[in-house]
Amino acid sequence: MHMMNELISVPVAAGTFAVSAGWIAVISRKLHKTLKNADYALMGVLGAFVFAAQMVNIQLPLMPGTSCHFVGAVMLAIIFGPHVGAIVLSSVVVVQCLIFQDGGILALGCNILNMAIIPGYTGYFLYRLIANDNPGRLRFYLAVIAACITGLMAGAAMVPLQAEISGVLSIPLSGFMLTMLGVHFLAGIVEGLMTAAVLAYLMEVRPAILMPQPENSRRAMSMRGVYISMALLTLIAGGLLSLAASDKPDGLEWSYAERPDNPDFEPVVKNDSKLIENVDRLHGEYAPMPDYTIRASSANETASGAWTSFAGVAGAFVTMLLVWLLAKLIRSDTKNIV
Amino acid sequence: MHHAHIDKYANQSSHVHKIDARLKLLAVVLFTVLTVTVSINKLPSLAWYALFPFLLLVIGRIPIKFVLKQVILVSPVILVFGFSCVIFEREPVYVSFGPFSGEIALGWVRFLSIACKFTISAAALIALVSTTRFYDLLAAMQKLGVPKMLVLQLGFLYRYIFLLIDKAGRMMRARSARKLCTFGFLYELRLAGSMIGSMFVSSIDMAERAGIAMEARGFTGTVHTLNTLRLKAVDAVFGFLVIVYFSLLLVIF
Repeated sequence: MHMMNELISVPVAAGTFAVSAGWIAVISRKLHKTLKNADYALMGVLGAFVFAAQMVNIQLPLMPGTSCHFVGAVMLAIIFGPHVGAIVLSSVVVVQCLIFQDGGILALGCNILNMAIIPGYTGYFLYRLIANDNPGRLRFYLAVIAACITGLMAGAAMVPLQAEISGVLSIPLSGFMLTMLGVHFLAGIVEGLMTAAVLAYLMEVRPAILMPQPENSRRAMSMRGVYISMALLTLIAGGLLSLAASDKPDGLEWSYAERPDNPDFEPVVKNDSKLIENVDRLHGEYAPMPDYTIRASSANETASGAWTSFAGVAGAFVTMLLVWLLAKLIRSDTKNIV
Repeated sequence: MHHAHIDKYANQSSHVHKIDARLKLLAVVLFTVLTVTVSINKLPSLAWYALFPFLLLVIGRIPIKFVLKQVILVSPVILVFGFSCVIFEREPVYVSFGPFSGEIALGWVRFLSIACKFTISAAALIALVSTTRFYDLLAAMQKLGVPKMLVLQLGFLYRYIFLLIDKAGRMMRARSARKLCTFGFLYELRLAGSMIGSMFVSSIDMAERAGIAMEARGFTGTVHTLNTLRLKAVDAVFGFLVIVYFSLLLVIF
């Protein structure tokens, strides 16, 4: 689920960008010390693999016509450790933004956080918690599925939060959150099953990839590292929530009923007040018309404002037309280099 | 296989292509910030914002039809959000534009705002990517302080992505050619799992070969990019124009 430029405000974009950039910088430095040269190639190709794997779709049962595809964030985190997974998935998100126009350039920080960092680390943490160093088959698959569901949902829960703090959307937070979590719960189950299927295949074909080898142990995180990163992620989530409680761009105060420890609670009054607030603001700025009856003075004002904006738009389009015509004229006597 | 390259025009030559990648990247990011912060009651001024990507695209000789196709391709998500605004904000507001005036739901105004901003910022990003070679963009990122590891990773990813997408495409074609009905969910799952698994194995083998080849050519973990980034006259002109244009946008609108 990619965030778009239009769904977030600049402060949220900057904040999430800072968090993501800092995180990537720290793990880059960490990995730089431990990676072998061949690992660089491995990471690059893994990024391309994620793209390719996303093309393999599967029909969902009970929902004819819908299909879903594999994401792979949690799988890479489980096999290669969360740091490598985070770098690989971040590069995937950047390429999706630049080459495939998926997600806005302003929302890059958000998208890296929601899709590369949070799912990988959360999933890895849960996997390590459920499957100890040498799990049985059933436990291993259970751990994988739980990790996928939790990881995907944790990432998805950030989207409505970020949109809400930005104050751009008018959709009630609770509804948006429920939709996102519901959809990603189902997607997480399918992702988990698919990951389990892929891992089962690898167990049969190439068990060496999955076995923790002595020289691979540097890829894994110590339990202490796991706890520290989880604490950091919790802080980020908590910080976002508290930001939501304090910093509303349109000056709307979230009622104190909205608490970080109780994110599902949604005061009903909030939406109404936000609507009224917006409407008031718009009425103030657009064409103030109390009772929707035209008064002489404001009618003149709105009329002049309307014509100004009309002239502005028309002017912009005429300018573009001129530019285009000029370009065409100039180009007609040069050869097209395509 | 044929790929819908968004950057298929990046290797052309025009004044826009010649601008330093760093400048272009920064200008587009700044422009996106400006566009997104336009308030909803100054909607008409967005027409002047549209001038920036339009100029870049026209001077860069990018076919407008191609740009529109790309924008429409990625618009479904935005449309969903836009229409949900229409559903949730039914308060009537009075708007007037030239000879037209009347009451419409607030949601429609917001929908229009989101759609316009989306189109403009997407066009700006397309203008950046389709007038700049990807490796120049990477070099620019590295110069602007993106961690070396991520830059290296992106370079690799870009090199291998079309290879592996082709591979996946061939696999999918083989599957649909042989699988003439839908099996049970678990069987489908196993099928997809083994497809992805074998892709994974071959990716790892590919990476191993690439790693050995790099070692053989003396790769030491540091990235050397061809430094083609030098500020030229065209950059000075572009920088000056961008500063003037952005200031005008901020002052007038």
